[in-house]
Amino acid sequence: MTIYSLYIYDRHCECVYYQDWHRTKRPKQAIEGNIFPGVSRAVAPYTSDMNMVAQSPRNTLLSNTGVIIAVNEEPPPSSSLHNAPAPPPQSSTGLPFDEEAKLVYGVILSLRNMIRKLSGKDEQFVNYRTSAYKLHVYETASGYKFVMLGDPNGDSLRFLLRQIYIGPFLEYVVRNPLATMDSRERGIDNEYFRASIDRLVRGLSVFP
Amino acid sequence: MAIYGLWVINKAGGLVYQRNFADGLAQLTSNEYLVLAGTLHGIHAITSRLSPIGSSSGAHVIEGESLKMTILLTATGTKFVLLTSLAETSADAVLQKAYEAYSDAVMKNPFYTPEMPIRSEGFDLRISTLIGDGRTS
Repeated sequence: MTIYSLYIYDRHCECVYYQDWHRTKRPKQAIEGNIFPGVSRAVAPYTSDMNMVAQSPRNTLLSNTGVIIAVNEEPPPSSSLHNAPAPPPQSSTGLPFDEEAKLVYGVILSLRNMIRKLSGKDEQFVNYRTSAYKLHVYETASGYKFVMLGDPNGDSLRFLLRQIYIGPFLEYVVRNPLATMDSRERGIDNEYFRASIDRLVRGLSVFP
Repeated sequence: MAIYGLWVINKAGGLVYQRNFADGLAQLTSNEYLVLAGTLHGIHAITSRLSPIGSSSGAHVIEGESLKMTILLTATGTKFVLLTSLAETSADAVLQKAYEAYSDAVMKNPFYTPEMPIRSEGFDLRISTLIGDGRTS
């Protein structure tokens, strides 16, 4: 039993967060302009003006006095606390991340509509399974969709997605005055949120 | 436990056979079933590309809160889809038997045109004896 990846979508169908653990087949870097900044540094497009971002007007601290990590600004590469460095694009296989994220969203949306139509009630789509992985969905009342890919033979991970929502998500995104929700131009990534999800997932008994 | 319906989807995504058994799902028109089958065909192709680890089959089981769809993809690309309650355990066996019935009663029928809707009394009869009214203990 293992866990591969986590996607969070907002109610505007945009991917606002991504994290992965044991993926052997990583997505390629997204094409610039196709995903928001602040989704995941591992799949963010390469930019030549990294230093410019660090001098954004929101960063009121001098860069040599500390690093703001409660904000989802992209810090300069040297100050990365937690993230593994992004793999070079040629080493990863498969689709670019932005296309993959759109396909995942398309699948869960179509399946949700299909289940709703077939049941004739307001029934939720819960998960599907292939030979290699199992995809779980948890949708909040505010329209955020938490999507997790895990082991095909594992039990439902809905409890974990709900825990991510009531734990790290509420604490470090909803209650974070510096995080921009519903902005339609930024993701919700920040160091505390990422580290907190990582702790939660790695602390599970199902995680090897 | 109950079996709600059986679909046969040809390799192009067209619905060639659809039959309801136990009650419990919404009553849809045949046009709506055609659209759903086409959607499922597309989703099935996409799910095999989303694998986080190497190659994967398409979706095998899709679950909602009270119903599940079990999909059998045959070597020729024809898909058999069984709609059942969540607790139903015989779905894989029933699909395999339905595939056998299809091979015997449809594919061996000299008057059947491949990829076209199945209108065969023999197939209907074999599916009836296999699934009955869809209520499984």
